[in-house]
Amino acid sequence: MSARRPRPVRKPVAGTPAWVAPAAVVVGLAVLVAAFLVIRWYVTPLPPKAPSQDATTQLVATITSLAPSEFDAVGQGTANNLVKPISGGSVLKGPNGRPEVFYYGAEFCPYCAAQRWPLIIALSRFGTFSGLQTTTSSSSDVYPNTPTFTFRSATYLSQYVEFRAVETTDRDHNPLQSPSASEQQLVNSYDPGGTIPFIDIANRYAISGAMYTPDVVGGMSWQPVADALKQPDSPQARAIIGSANLLTAAICKANVDQPAGVCSSSTIQGLEKKLG
Amino acid sequence: MPRLKVAAILASVAGVAVSIYITLLHYVGFVPACPASGAINCEAVLSSPYAVIGGTAIPTSAAGIVWFAISAVLWIRPPGPLVLAWSFLGLLTVVYLLFIEIVLVGAICLWCTAAHAMVVVLVVLAMVARR
Repeated sequence: MSARRPRPVRKPVAGTPAWVAPAAVVVGLAVLVAAFLVIRWYVTPLPPKAPSQDATTQLVATITSLAPSEFDAVGQGTANNLVKPISGGSVLKGPNGRPEVFYYGAEFCPYCAAQRWPLIIALSRFGTFSGLQTTTSSSSDVYPNTPTFTFRSATYLSQYVEFRAVETTDRDHNPLQSPSASEQQLVNSYDPGGTIPFIDIANRYAISGAMYTPDVVGGMSWQPVADALKQPDSPQARAIIGSANLLTAAICKANVDQPAGVCSSSTIQGLEKKLG
Repeated sequence: MPRLKVAAILASVAGVAVSIYITLLHYVGFVPACPASGAINCEAVLSSPYAVIGGTAIPTSAAGIVWFAISAVLWIRPPGPLVLAWSFLGLLTVVYLLFIEIVLVGAICLWCTAAHAMVVVLVVLAMVARR
């Protein structure tokens, strides 16, 4: 009987530690996030070059003198109807006793940047702005450098409605203007979530937020936006003029459909029915 | 019940809870408990066109509820290859959603990030369980 030869024993091989694969997943995810941040930085548009004062005046004239047929061609367009009726309470009136439109926003805010375009266009159907200046939203917020105007030193004259604007900060978040106690009360009452922009139309309608997404004008300068507004089928016209029509309808309803030249159009009358 | 399994089920339940909260924000219109300016901006993400499943009005977070619920069910059973496959499907979705948040919207939603973190935890647990 021969003795059994001992089986060769395989030298144990050190396996990959258990933590390596999960750690690889986490590290891989971190690398992807870093790559996404780089892509974001690369695709973020730079602020457009501010136009001269003369060019700004021309720009404002362009967007505030759109033909009535333009408004009718767009209707509501792609605007979100964020106009909410306010029930009860007294009509908000300005110092001259006319119904007041109150705007509360900030220059850094891209949604405010988007909403100022239609608000200026709508109010210009009832009166005249002066002192509007171009600006862009913050470079470090969502929808960076959205081109817009600021109400910080604007004045508005109308025989139908009054307008009061508060821009709380500049585009770098520095304090700019403060609401009065009664204006703060309006914000607290009708915009409890603190969403900006907030617009109160004579305490009859309230709008919190922008009626279209700021990327509609993202990466554009002011003049191309103004040019696009003259093309009713452009995305900019459908969003901005559509929003302006909704705002116009709300102002008309709050002001007993005056002036008739604006409020009696079939487009505005049709939108008034949607406002409730 | 092994600790790994308990941790995974707890992470799944937490994911369901966060996803339900985000879905409620969409349907009820609550304002999210989250900063609303700068890089951290839940509202910007949740009100973006990408916050709903393409072509529908269903919020993406509703899919999150389903994913986490199925994950919890899979972890109740003995761990198998399906748990790992399901976890990696979730991880791919997280990568896609991070791309949308960072590159397309340019903002981070804290609540969404909480749900994403739960997915990563579940992936790690699934990998550890497979060894």
